[in-house]
Amino acid sequence: MNKKLKIGMVCPYGWDTPGGVQIHMKELAEYFQSEGHTVSLLAPVADEESLQEDWVVPAGRPVSIPFNGAVARILFGPIATSRVRQWITAGEFDLLHLHEPAIPSLSLLACVAADGPMVATFHASAPKQKAIFAIGPILEPVLEKLNARIAVSEMARETLKVHFETEAVVIPNGINTAKYAGGKRNLDWYRPNTLGFLGRFDESRKGLSVLLNALPEIARSVPDVQLLIAGPGDQEEVLKDVDASIRSRIRFLGRLTEEEKADFFQSIDLYIAPNTRGESFGIILAEAMAGGSAVIASNIQAFSDLLKAGEYGALFENESSSDLAKKILIYLKDSQKREELLNRGLEYSKVFDWKSVAAQILDVYEVAIAGGNGVTLASENRGWRRLKNE
Amino acid sequence: MNSAVFTIVLLLLSLAWYLSFSATRLDRCHHRVETSWEHLDALLQRRAALALEIARLSDIDPATQMILTSSAYQSRGANIGDREDAETSLSESLKFLHRSALSNEISIEVSFIDELAALTDKIRTAIAIHLEAISAVKNLRNKLVFRLFHLAGRAKWPEKYHFEDDEL
Repeated sequence: MNKKLKIGMVCPYGWDTPGGVQIHMKELAEYFQSEGHTVSLLAPVADEESLQEDWVVPAGRPVSIPFNGAVARILFGPIATSRVRQWITAGEFDLLHLHEPAIPSLSLLACVAADGPMVATFHASAPKQKAIFAIGPILEPVLEKLNARIAVSEMARETLKVHFETEAVVIPNGINTAKYAGGKRNLDWYRPNTLGFLGRFDESRKGLSVLLNALPEIARSVPDVQLLIAGPGDQEEVLKDVDASIRSRIRFLGRLTEEEKADFFQSIDLYIAPNTRGESFGIILAEAMAGGSAVIASNIQAFSDLLKAGEYGALFENESSSDLAKKILIYLKDSQKREELLNRGLEYSKVFDWKSVAAQILDVYEVAIAGGNGVTLASENRGWRRLKNE
Repeated sequence: MNSAVFTIVLLLLSLAWYLSFSATRLDRCHHRVETSWEHLDALLQRRAALALEIARLSDIDPATQMILTSSAYQSRGANIGDREDAETSLSESLKFLHRSALSNEISIEVSFIDELAALTDKIRTAIAIHLEAISAVKNLRNKLVFRLFHLAGRAKWPEKYHFEDDEL
């Protein structure tokens, strides 16, 4: 699209709490700005003083509310509503891009308050809830206003279909592949037969224990195997059940900066993602592939979808340490096979680059914009408005 | 007595509000079907124009040239009912062209190939969104309130455009 757009984005979650949706939105907004578009992003912000981006408009402090089995930091209510309406009026946007509007959030408020070209991205995937029968009729007329829906994965699309009987275009989450391509092997970390794990390792759903239980068997065939664990967490807690002979093969690197992360992927032979559940996309696998690691992941649906059923990364039976050990040994021993897997993954990771992802999102914008002349405040009911205006 | 009248008036008012609200919903959906179709139509026209340009400017054999030209003309001329067949045959010809180009049997300028790929991406997105708009209208119009009160008015039942989700 040649025309430069004025895009209004709405973030449902607290901007200063770390999360996948926030990172996605930040990188997307920055990419669009580098392309010459204008972006204004409305989000709940806990600490307005330390807000760094001048294009983020704070809408108030988020509140913590249990929703869908997790605590979400979101914002709604009458004051938030009037902030949303002000923002829409002042912004004179060509288009609104709402994220996760199907939860009680700023995005939902914006969807109700606005009229005109609107696109929404659905990130979450969840099994069908009972409450949906009660929520559905409320949300249906609201979500209907969206010109187009984007789901970040097949699973998210499936969720949307089951919950609201509506279709969505699947566009994956984006990453900066160039950032990961620039990593350098850290010789302090690397030695032959190194495995890597990255993430909040004391969370059981990240599956580190599955990997730790596979280590003894791997060490029997490959005695010099090393496991690098990066990310925050309680080391003692994790190590207390681990055999002493295995303990010497494990190294904790702590939390990594973004540059260190790129180096990390260069300093391991295999990246292991043993997550047992709770992933709806698996951006980390895309990052690992872009960083030049061969990937072995559990066969949970999100990973299997992302790796195209094992084409771009090996899959093992979820929660099975013995199957994981078997797969790791195959790829540690056969360096040619590993190299092939790595190269396939590296080539494939380009589809996750913002250049390609943002272009697809712009295609969706283009369709949405074809239908209107900018975003205005909505009056829910045209007949009613006509009556009132007479 | 008074309260009965009041209740009836209230009920009638809320029914009126609800009907007006529903009609607005449907109107919005119809609007979306139209605009998304216009957009898709424009993209398809651009594709046909691109196909003609490739046929004219590239150094390709006359048979391929003929297939390409005729299918491009067909899809430009077809009305919405025949459109589907015409576009499918154009897709097929372009796919064939693309394969031949990839295997170096014929040479097409890289810029054409890139443009075609970008256009195909756009068309795929536009189709998905258009079909989604159509199913939204159908869903609504199948509901009892909409049929009972004839909320769709004289708007035509949306014509579904069957376009295979083709890979180029």
